[in-house]
Amino acid sequence: MVHETLAATNAVVTLDVALPEVFWGWYVTMNMWAKSIGTGLVFMLFLLLRRNPEEMKGLRTSVMIASFIMMNIFLLFTLADLHQPFRMWHIFFYPHLTSAITVGAWMATIFVGLEFLMIAAMIRKEKCLLTKEPVAFFDKTLFWVTLLAIPVTLYTAGIMAEATARELWQMPTEAAQMILAATLSGSAAIILLGGNKLSESTKNFFASILGLSALMAFIIYMSEYIFGAMKAEEVAAILHYVKGDGEYATMFWIGQWVAYILPMLLIALYRTSKSNAMLNLAAILAIAGLWIVKHVWLVIPQLLPLS
Amino acid sequence: MQLGFLVDLHLCMGCKGCEIACKVENEVPLSTWRLRVKYVDVGTYPETKRTFTPLRCNHCENAPCERICPVSALHYIENGIVNIDKERCIGCAGCVMACPYGAIYIDPETQTADKCTYCAHRIASSLMPACVVACPVEANIFGDLEDPTSNISKYIQQHQGDVMVRKPEKGTNPHHFYVGGGQVHLNPLASKREEGYNLFNNITHLPLGGHH
Repeated sequence: MVHETLAATNAVVTLDVALPEVFWGWYVTMNMWAKSIGTGLVFMLFLLLRRNPEEMKGLRTSVMIASFIMMNIFLLFTLADLHQPFRMWHIFFYPHLTSAITVGAWMATIFVGLEFLMIAAMIRKEKCLLTKEPVAFFDKTLFWVTLLAIPVTLYTAGIMAEATARELWQMPTEAAQMILAATLSGSAAIILLGGNKLSESTKNFFASILGLSALMAFIIYMSEYIFGAMKAEEVAAILHYVKGDGEYATMFWIGQWVAYILPMLLIALYRTSKSNAMLNLAAILAIAGLWIVKHVWLVIPQLLPLS
Repeated sequence: MQLGFLVDLHLCMGCKGCEIACKVENEVPLSTWRLRVKYVDVGTYPETKRTFTPLRCNHCENAPCERICPVSALHYIENGIVNIDKERCIGCAGCVMACPYGAIYIDPETQTADKCTYCAHRIASSLMPACVVACPVEANIFGDLEDPTSNISKYIQQHQGDVMVRKPEKGTNPHHFYVGGGQVHLNPLASKREEGYNLFNNITHLPLGGHH
């Protein structure tokens, strides 16, 4: 690797005014975090419908509203991060379909529109589209919204993959992490929203999803942490920011503990003690920790000089 | 036609004439650059030397910025230049994240992406880019890569084996070449950046919209 030559060349940059370091900051973290919860809730609601439809009562509207709010937070921060937010309409009138940003914006818009229709149907409690009963319409539409939630949650991985300059963000890994972020935060959120409306077996089910999502995401991060540096020198240079006394090392480990390690331990304890407090704490930690984990992974590749 | 650039680093003496000419020609705002000359000091005193590397948009054949732009603000024109339509740009900074060369910035005055266009407006009037005209040693060579009789094609033929591009592993196929370059010139990881060792410290960046 080229940095091994530094001791021989003693090459020091003495003049280069590089770009400001972090372009995609915490607004984009908020974007990814809120989207994970918004789509994750839809995944969980669909699983609940398939597994135990009678427990859907009272959760359809509340969970869908929670998802809708999170999706709107996602859209708000997406808009706020634009330097020309009033030109957002260009994305619909001058679409460039090789861009994951365009495709994602279109899909997210349709997704939020469908969520709105489902909420409206449940609130109005009247026969609606296709003369279906609201609940039947909701449950039927939920299937299609769940299908749409997959690309909506994955498209950010597509953007990261298209960010050629940022070697750390590799597509298969980021896609897996996006889905796991959705299942982690979605299961955590539905545990908190469902509360006593969920049966013990359903809570166990969502707790398993939470714990397994945390485990798999943690394994992927650790794999990159340990082995990522062995094949690509840029990745090695980026990972220095989260290793040793790196600028983001502390934040990285706080994120790993809060999002993954502690929830896994708490879920294990919950399964033996059946303590709802432990389960709720695991859910809160997973949601909070996910923000930290996402933020670190978003920022560190941007710290590396490109010139 | 496929326009391209070549910089002979044996000739470049780091005068920054190209940088200033670009600034003036394109009215590039304070604290932003379409073209920068990077200085890297190599060796240990007294055996030291300073290297100079002009850095600008590479106008890649497979441009990541063009691919990621959601509104086609970044687009190819017939002569191979990757141009930008600032009226269409929404300022998402996707191109900034995608460009492996750090060649794109957000213009603090227009709040849109901007970069070197090889002076597309001058080329349309059959003029050379401003940096080419300003270079006192003709280190910047510009022309049609598809024309074997152009200066740039001849230069590449004459210096085969010594022609390099930045980050070839990215698969972008840059149309910007260097002669006489090495890792220290072209690989950002081959040199250290030490706080306080920069000739220009404490640069003030103009504020941008959004959050950074």
